Amino acid sequence: MIVCVAVVGHQNNPVYIQSFTEADDALKLHHIVHCSLDVVDERVNNPKKSGPTLNETFLGLLYPTENYKVYGYLTNTKVKFILVTTDLDVRDADVRNFFRRFHSAYVDAVSNPFHVPGKKITSRTFAERVSNIVKSFGLSSAG
Amino acid sequence: MIGVGKIKQYTNVLDKPLSKGKQEVSLSAFAFLFSEIVQYNQTQVDNITELERRLEDAGYAVGARVLELLCHREKGNRRETRLLGILSFVHSTVWKVLFGKVADSLEKGTEHEDEYMISEKELLVNRFISIPKDMGTFNCGAFVAGIVRGVLDGAGFPAVVTAHFVPAEGQQRPRTTILIKFAEEVLRREARLG
Repeated sequence: MIVCVAVVGHQNNPVYIQSFTEADDALKLHHIVHCSLDVVDERVNNPKKSGPTLNETFLGLLYPTENYKVYGYLTNTKVKFILVTTDLDVRDADVRNFFRRFHSAYVDAVSNPFHVPGKKITSRTFAERVSNIVKSFGLSSAG
Repeated sequence: MIGVGKIKQYTNVLDKPLSKGKQEVSLSAFAFLFSEIVQYNQTQVDNITELERRLEDAGYAVGARVLELLCHREKGNRRETRLLGILSFVHSTVWKVLFGKVADSLEKGTEHEDEYMISEKELLVNRFISIPKDMGTFNCGAFVAGIVRGVLDGAGFPAVVTAHFVPAEGQQRPRTTILIKFAEEVLRREARLG
């Protein structure tokens, strides 16, 4: 179950945060997203040279907390996508697929000439596409 | 190879899948739009530098979006951290997407360490434009300079980018050169990366 998705700009400013459960406290989710930014910075600045190649977009599992898993994805312009999920057995391929579609929706939202880069994304189309992607993620990983 | 695959035959023409369409934009449409942009900005400003700055700002917005779009479309894309990497990205990939061909040449400036030049025999945006004599050294390539600046800025390489006419022997029209001057911090980071 995806709990929250967030888009954070290159100066670590929030561009889009959306939570998908009513039960959880929105503030706690914001806090989790904020903490994960530190992990992203750490991964970017000290790449493991022996591990996977440098400058990959998908960062993988950032860190597991109590009952959440946090995944990260970094684009060329240092914009970060954060995904918080409560699923225990998420496959890597599913998460990559999710981020690919999310990236696609993000590029479409930013290509809007009326969108000011750095400001929050206010497009309703983007919000709809994101909720569609989130819903289909839940279905595909359950099946 | 032509004719290798077996093409599925559709009995009913309505069953054929819609074609994706050509990924091309009409040059005349773009030329009209660009000329309107230049004319509109000309009525709003008093001097040439202001006009160049406005065109460059327009290009900057385009450049930022082009970078996002390209890095999403390229399969197996890597984030560029090296100077030469981002320059060759601009020189080939960005130029190919925007103008249909790679730029003519990429050179390193001889006088200063932080200067690079992309030159083109004739910029696509300038093809239908002739500059009147009283406008001096104004170049509508400022739009393209803005695009390059947008791409470099988004990728984390702040730079000052300008467009210049460079007279070439044997040709009536001068070549256009986009001059890229990187900021201090970019050079220091590049030196640190080794």
